[in-house]
Amino acid sequence: MPAAPILATKLFVPSPQPKAVLRPRLIERLDEGLRRKLTLISAPAGFGKTTLVGGWVAGIPRPVAWLSLDEGDNDPSRFLAYLVAALQAIETDIGDGVLGALQSPQPPPTEAILTALLNEISTDEDEFVLVLDDYHVIDARAVDDAFAFLLEHLPPQMHLVIATREDPHLPLARLRARDQLGELRAADLRFTPSEAAEFLEGAMGLSLSEDNIAALEERTEGWIAGLQLAAISMQGHKDATSFIESFTGSHRFVLDYLVEEVLGQQPESVQAFLLRTSILERLCGPLCDAVLLDPAASGQKTLEYIERANLFLVPLDNERHWYRYHHLFAELLQQRLQQSTASSAGDEVGDVAELHRRASGWYEDNGLEIEAFRHAAAAHDVERAERLVEGEGIPLQFRGAGAPVLKWLGSLSKTVLDARPSLWVTYASTLMMTGQHTAVEQKLRAAETALQVTEPDDRTRDLVGRIASMRATLAVIQHDAETIIIQSRRALEFPHPDNLPVRTATTWTLGYAHQLKGDRAAANRAYTEVISTGKSLGDSIYTTAATINLGEIQEADNQLFVATKTYRRVLQLAGDPPDPIACVAYLGLARIAYQWNDLESAGQHGQQCLRLTRQMESVDTVASCDVFLARLKLAQGDVDDAAAVLDEAGEFVRRHDFEFRMPDVAAAQVLTLLRQGDLAAAAHLAQRYELPISQARVHLAQGDTSAALAALEPLRSQTEAKGWEDERLEVMVLQAVALQAHGEKDRAARLLGNALELAEPGGFIRIFLDEGMPMARLLSEAAVREIMPDYTAKLLSAFEADEHKSAIDSHLRPAQALIEPLSKRELEVLQLIAKGLSNREISERLFLALDTVKGHNRRIFGKLLVRRRTEAVAKARSLDILPRHN
Amino acid sequence: MSNKRAQAMVYQIRIEGHLGPQWTEWFGGMTITPEDDGDTLLTGPVEDQAALHGLLRKVRDLGIPLISATRFKPP
Repeated sequence: MPAAPILATKLFVPSPQPKAVLRPRLIERLDEGLRRKLTLISAPAGFGKTTLVGGWVAGIPRPVAWLSLDEGDNDPSRFLAYLVAALQAIETDIGDGVLGALQSPQPPPTEAILTALLNEISTDEDEFVLVLDDYHVIDARAVDDAFAFLLEHLPPQMHLVIATREDPHLPLARLRARDQLGELRAADLRFTPSEAAEFLEGAMGLSLSEDNIAALEERTEGWIAGLQLAAISMQGHKDATSFIESFTGSHRFVLDYLVEEVLGQQPESVQAFLLRTSILERLCGPLCDAVLLDPAASGQKTLEYIERANLFLVPLDNERHWYRYHHLFAELLQQRLQQSTASSAGDEVGDVAELHRRASGWYEDNGLEIEAFRHAAAAHDVERAERLVEGEGIPLQFRGAGAPVLKWLGSLSKTVLDARPSLWVTYASTLMMTGQHTAVEQKLRAAETALQVTEPDDRTRDLVGRIASMRATLAVIQHDAETIIIQSRRALEFPHPDNLPVRTATTWTLGYAHQLKGDRAAANRAYTEVISTGKSLGDSIYTTAATINLGEIQEADNQLFVATKTYRRVLQLAGDPPDPIACVAYLGLARIAYQWNDLESAGQHGQQCLRLTRQMESVDTVASCDVFLARLKLAQGDVDDAAAVLDEAGEFVRRHDFEFRMPDVAAAQVLTLLRQGDLAAAAHLAQRYELPISQARVHLAQGDTSAALAALEPLRSQTEAKGWEDERLEVMVLQAVALQAHGEKDRAARLLGNALELAEPGGFIRIFLDEGMPMARLLSEAAVREIMPDYTAKLLSAFEADEHKSAIDSHLRPAQALIEPLSKRELEVLQLIAKGLSNREISERLFLALDTVKGHNRRIFGKLLVRRRTEAVAKARSLDILPRHN
Repeated sequence: MSNKRAQAMVYQIRIEGHLGPQWTEWFGGMTITPEDDGDTLLTGPVEDQAALHGLLRKVRDLGIPLISATRFKPP
């Protein structure tokens, strides 16, 4: 799913103001605080937090990443995307994989993403600072928790600065106790009398008596915003002393008094400009023009005038294109705007909602849909807001605007929602994204109730379809095949034919339900339809998912070559870096490589699968991958290792409630137990999970061939009837072995012949090899009888090679191979690291850019599976990549 | 939390510095009463806790020092 564009203004590091008062005592404290994890600057608005931090970071020798937070960052996905974007300003490709994971339909849990990000940060040893401005806008627990996690695992080279109006919901007491927290609070940030004097005279160019300065400082209590407004006000007053007398003599709230003064001194056109543009979170010339509809004064020129007049306008870039008002100033202006429109009723130009509407229009024309939506919501224009949420293609809540959309919907009364049932449906889909599934059902019901009283037309039919589609998706999460099918069919009956994305999603869920129930043909049809829709509509995540599922079905049909092609297509679709969903494709390739007896490739694909699963929410694929790796170990003779892996898998399954995976784990455990000779445990397990094939194996191991055959025969008929080719083959192979053990050599040979016929097109090898010596004897018999001579010969030589290999293996301890060998360049860099050269020295020695060297380091560490230079050198030496002595 | 759909509670918020009556609408219709000691009282019905916190946030965002918030029991 495409993400919303990243607003560069949120990442802009404010330039230090040339006339700003120097505050060495505060700078010193900030410098000293760099050794701790967190510097917290907590003070009300107007205390110069941003100015101070902006000035400070300009002077420190470390790179600085800056993120100005806003309401929308209460959506964890959006916040994480911006966090990565901020970090990329200092390290260009950090977190690329994370960004990819964030855009998948089920993004991984926040902690997994942060862990991946922190690991990447750890590979680079350069120190840096991350500043988060306006943290008080965060009220989502999920984001607070994310920060707490970040703080808990902060790499030593990273220093965090948080500027906020209220103490954040983070473990501050704990940090204080461990001396990991530096703080600047209002008392620290207030101007001291001498700073106030310097400000008024130096920065604002006033010449005042000591008494006057003292009076101002006392009245404003060192509040910078107050002093600045007072100073501006006095620049326009001829008689400073009388101004100060009335000002200090008044009880009126400091800013209210001063803003009135300051505004009163401005020409009327500027006053109107300030009031009307105060509704904008950020301003640029053309936007202001659109809001004011006033041709006389150019927005750009007015902004420049206001900036020169020091009227609290903050630049958001270096091009003098975007600005914002100081938050406090904007609040006060907004209040005055509200007051002025209330008094002059009927004045259309002053109507605040109208201003928001114009802003919304401008943003929409300029392709900034999220802001257009925000203003539409502020204008209380439900129709316009809804239209903007739905947009042209993918609705806003899926493009990073989940938090504002949810907030808006929550603010609407039930009456408004009932009048527009589509809003209930949007509410449901937005909640679904945030995983609040029980709340989803409630909204769907409200939608249905509301729909009962509306006229049935195309639009309502579309809504009914969407409701069913969402219920189908909820059922997928619960593996409730029946519900999926019912709701998916219903969904497909209803929606507007143009609503292709919903149809595609629904067809996919239908296919998945069929697959769950074992109706592979029906599943195949559904997935094929999804894929062909993708060709005409454009590939979506559903195309990838459907292709994976198709591959699984082909694999289950023993069409191993076709399945391989399909899985490789998935890897193509998954992109680079790969969408984590591709893990399933790697697993499929691993299984097939295993069947073809290419154990090395099988192992590599298995590792690739594991690596991707780590980027996802706990998925059952982890268990499937473990089961596969266990079987691989069994084939390689590591029986104990296999058992350990399966124990872990079993625990994982139980912990995450993936009960439907237990049979797979158990079946593999039976194999392991049989190899270990523990027949009793194997029998117990096979019975507990009602695994007929496993039970047959146990009988065979116990020497009870009749029981084995009795278990297998009905299974054979069932798999034939249902068309479950993979299980059918497995049963036939096992049956042949059992028949031979039972003494029925002719029947065994014939059955093996049938099995060979079925297996040959797929190139199966391992399914025979895994049966061991009994199968080898059977194959020799078959060779004698000239049954499929080429294939049998191939299989028999595979048996010989296997034996030969285990003989060698028992003598040598094989070195752990690297998944991917180091490139020549990477080896050069590693050699220099081993010699103790810093990154900078390496970049000079090899004539590379520093960033390039860091990139090489990251890849080296990734290939060696280490996190630090010392580990990398040690591991490389143990693998004989580097000589053991210098 | 009580489930009573009774009339809204009445709150009185005390802040430092005088605000004039033109601020009534900004503070959701609260009555503005300046006191002799330089404080201002904002008094009026508040629908629920969420609304109360919204009011307090407005006070915070203006940088006005908050002195107290008191709930009045209905007579």
